[in-house]
Amino acid sequence: MFRPANSNSRTDLRTLADEDLMALVQEGEARAFEVIFDRHSGPAFSLAYRMCGRRAMAEDVVQEAFMSLWRTGARYERRRGSVRNWVLGAVHNRAIDAFRRGVVRESRNVSDEGIADRLKAPEQTDVEVARREEAAHVRGVLGELPAEQRQVIELAYFGGFTHSQIAQMLELPAGTVKGRMRLGLTKMRIALGDPAGFML
Amino acid sequence: MTGPEQMSEKRDCGADAAAYVLGALEHDEAEAFCAHMANCGVCRDEVSAFQDVADALALAAPPQPVPHGLKRRVMASVRAEPRGSAAAGEQKRKRRRPSIGFFSTMPASALALSAVAAVVVIAVGAVALFSGGGSSATRVYSAHVSWPGNAQLRVSGNRGELIVRGMPAPPPNKVYEVWLLKRGSKTPSATAALFSPTSSGSGSVDVPGNLNDITTVLVTPEPAGGSPAPTHAPILQAQIS
Repeated sequence: MFRPANSNSRTDLRTLADEDLMALVQEGEARAFEVIFDRHSGPAFSLAYRMCGRRAMAEDVVQEAFMSLWRTGARYERRRGSVRNWVLGAVHNRAIDAFRRGVVRESRNVSDEGIADRLKAPEQTDVEVARREEAAHVRGVLGELPAEQRQVIELAYFGGFTHSQIAQMLELPAGTVKGRMRLGLTKMRIALGDPAGFML
Repeated sequence: MTGPEQMSEKRDCGADAAAYVLGALEHDEAEAFCAHMANCGVCRDEVSAFQDVADALALAAPPQPVPHGLKRRVMASVRAEPRGSAAAGEQKRKRRRPSIGFFSTMPASALALSAVAAVVVIAVGAVALFSGGGSSATRVYSAHVSWPGNAQLRVSGNRGELIVRGMPAPPPNKVYEVWLLKRGSKTPSATAALFSPTSSGSGSVDVPGNLNDITTVLVTPEPAGGSPAPTHAPILQAQIS
C-alpha cells in the first residue's frame, strides 16, 4: 500500500486513493474515514433521500450506514468492488431495513432533476467532474427505458418494494413484474456498456 | 438430468436474478434463490452481470446537498467508537476473568443508579411478537428502557439486532455498550457492539454472537471505546423468552 511520509496530514490523506484510505480505516484511523465520508457522503445522501423522501430519515439512514461501515471496515475487500459501491450498498441496505421495519415513508417528488446544477461541487477535481458526468449518464440511461420497465425498477430499487408488492400495486401478474425488471436491467446493461469498467 | 439442472429448468432463472439484485425478492425467496445459485452457473452469471447495473443505479438519484451537521454527527460517533480500542478491548475481555458479581466492578454511584433503575424497570418480561414463518421467523422483543425512548430486540435464528427510538445521545465522551447475560450466569459478558443514536434518537446495532443461550441483552453508557466491565447500571434490558 502506498502511504505518504506523513499520513496523519489531512492534506496528504486527500491524495490517497479510496482503497489506500480503507487500509488506514482498518487500522482505526478516523481521519481517513473522514476523507471517505467527504468523498462519498454526497451520493450517499442523494440515494438515501431518493429512497426515503424525507431529509431527517435520509440523514438517519446515512449516519447508520457510515457507522456500520466504520464498525465493519475491516471486512472491506477491494477485489469485491469499489469503496463507493460499498458505501452506497450500505446506504441502500439500511434504507430497505428501515422500510421493512415499518418506518413510514412519505410520497416524494423524485423529479428534482437539475438540482445538481444548483449545487456547489465539494471537490471540483477531474475525478469529481467525471463522477458527476457518470451519474448523469446513468440517470439518462434509466430515463430512456420504456416507462413500464423504469417504473418497476424504480419501485424495487428506490422504493424498496418486493416484486409481489409491486404486482399488487400495479395489478399485474408477478411474472410480468419480474419480466419487466429483467428486460429493463438488460437494456441498461447494454447501454452502460461494461459498468464494471465504467465505474471509477 | 441432474438435480441442479432440473432446478434451473423449473426456475425462471433470469427473472429471479433481476429481482434478486434489485432486492425485490421476499426474504424466503431470496434465501431459496441463494441456495439455488450455488448449483446454477446461469444464475450466478446473471446476478454478476445485473449487479453491476444495480450498483450503477445508486448513482441515478438526483444530487442533493449533504445537510449541515451530518458530518459532525457522524464523525462524533466515529470518534466515540474508536475501532482500534474497541478491538483491543474485545481482546482484553476475552482474556479477563469473569467478575464475581453482576455489577461488582461498578462504582457506588452506579450501584445507587442500579437500584433506581431496578425500580424504574418495571415487570421484566418482554413481549415477543412473531413475524414471518417457519424456522426463519423473526421474534421481536420489547425492551424495558429506564431512560427516555424505546427499543426492540429482533431475533432471527440465533442472530439479534437491537433497534432504539427516541433515545438520548450518550453523555459526553460516552458510548452505549451492549452486554449479554447467559442462562444461569449473573455476570454479563461484554460485546464489541457499541453505538450512539442519531440526532433523532434512532439507531440499530447488530448484537454479536449466538443468542441461543442468552437470556437478557443489556445496554449501559460506557466510556468511549467501551469498557470490559459495566461502570453504569443498565438503561435497557431485553429479555429473550
